[in-house]
Amino acid sequence: MGLALAWMVAATTLLVVQPGIPGLSHLHPQVIALTHAWVLGFLVAVACGAVYQLVPVALGTTLWSERLGWLHLGLHTIGVPGMVYSFWNWDLRLLGGFGSAVALGVLCFSLNVWLTVKGSGRRDTTAWSIVLATGWLLATVLVGLLLAANKLWVFIPVNPVFLLRAHAHLGLVGFFITLLQGVGFQLIPMFTLGEVKHWWLAKTGLWLSQLGLVALVPALIWHLEPLPFAAALAISAGLIFTGVGLKRTLATRKKRRLDPGVVAFLRGGIVLCIAALVGAVLAWPSISQSQTPGGFNAMTYALLGIFGGLLPCVAGMMCKVVPFLTWMRAYGPRVGRGPTPPAHALTHPSIERWGLALQQVAVVPLLTGAWTLHSLWLRLGVWLLAVGVALFVVDMLGVLKHLWIQPTLTPTPALKSKPIG
Amino acid sequence: MKLTPDSETVWEALRSIPDPEYGLNIVDMGLIYEVECTDGGIHVIMTLTTPSCPSGEWIYEGVKTALNNLSDAGMVEVDMVFEPPWTPEMLSAEGQEFLGMA
Repeated sequence: MGLALAWMVAATTLLVVQPGIPGLSHLHPQVIALTHAWVLGFLVAVACGAVYQLVPVALGTTLWSERLGWLHLGLHTIGVPGMVYSFWNWDLRLLGGFGSAVALGVLCFSLNVWLTVKGSGRRDTTAWSIVLATGWLLATVLVGLLLAANKLWVFIPVNPVFLLRAHAHLGLVGFFITLLQGVGFQLIPMFTLGEVKHWWLAKTGLWLSQLGLVALVPALIWHLEPLPFAAALAISAGLIFTGVGLKRTLATRKKRRLDPGVVAFLRGGIVLCIAALVGAVLAWPSISQSQTPGGFNAMTYALLGIFGGLLPCVAGMMCKVVPFLTWMRAYGPRVGRGPTPPAHALTHPSIERWGLALQQVAVVPLLTGAWTLHSLWLRLGVWLLAVGVALFVVDMLGVLKHLWIQPTLTPTPALKSKPIG
Repeated sequence: MKLTPDSETVWEALRSIPDPEYGLNIVDMGLIYEVECTDGGIHVIMTLTTPSCPSGEWIYEGVKTALNNLSDAGMVEVDMVFEPPWTPEMLSAEGQEFLGMA
């Protein structure tokens, strides 16, 4: 989580220094560098950290190998900065070296997760989503390496732009959406005291998006019109099934008031559904797939999906998961020995709310700027995002501070009730 | 004969342990199924909101620690059970109000 926060700051700083990047073509080296800083540096690091911590607990087992987890972290720490640097300077040979380190790390992660799930004996929607998501992540980095190698030696005759699109969708849909479609049904009931009553919706949502992705990847690589449109529709339908399933789960919740983190997660999920539909529109055969900046194109679609959808989902879950994990380490051993605060008391609620809200609001000027190529909109979006990220990081650091400094607490007044039983 | 604390003292001690996720003590959460104080010992039967509760181990250890810290606690026995499974209906009236349940 610490590494991910560092990447969040670094990626935001890059944007502040170069606010015009979202107005460039999605094929520009700086855009690709920045995308990898955000996605691989921040989003993947958070997701992998959460998987290591929560999957063994959720599946009632232990992580297959902690050492393999540390090896992954080491390779990711070395590999990602090298990749971002290589993209920025467009050095494909250097990229191959650092990309291989990241791929090896992801291989360690995938093996570790697969063996952990296998050991748990669980085969439900959540377990399948974790297994599939890690597989897609491995496929993403391997296709990424293939893309770089093919640029140098051209041993597979495919258009690199088409391969790039397949690589991006493998990562964004294959890893993130697949993971969210499973763990959402584990985390939302847990955080809201709700119950999943319609597992068929979760299951149908997951398998529809998998079907869509399996069709989408070859359709994008070999430009098999109109298959990308049909595949995008299947993914959108999958997300809608997941959304309806989560909505019905929320309807059963006993904790009426939703935390800001859960609200951000749900809003992100709605925007991901919209982004999937936007993707379907872009895949319509008669729509121009221009690679030049401005207008309705891949850049606006990517900004909507990453900043409008994935960022609130991941940041929202961090607001729940980071305090909880910190509580377990800092205060768990003190339970029964003295007063301990609840996990949510480790955060600063107003900073958390403002941080998440500004990150979400920033998407509107960012999209407007990328569409109109107006630098004022881009600057406004970047600065709103930067302030949102700064507040979010301050809040997270305030939580992590409890690992080293635990304030002296006075006993909290217990709710008075008659003994039960 | 060894003295043991009365059950009200035990319930009060258990009430000092909060559930980290909901900020509500484990008694009002309905996680304590039974408290029995006999000559020379305390026997508690408890549960968790889910068998895979991430903080379950700390809550269980905390219950044992809190009871062992009571003067004249004697032998402390804490059984973790998942039958019947915990449901939100097991929250006390005050707990339900605390969480904003309708």
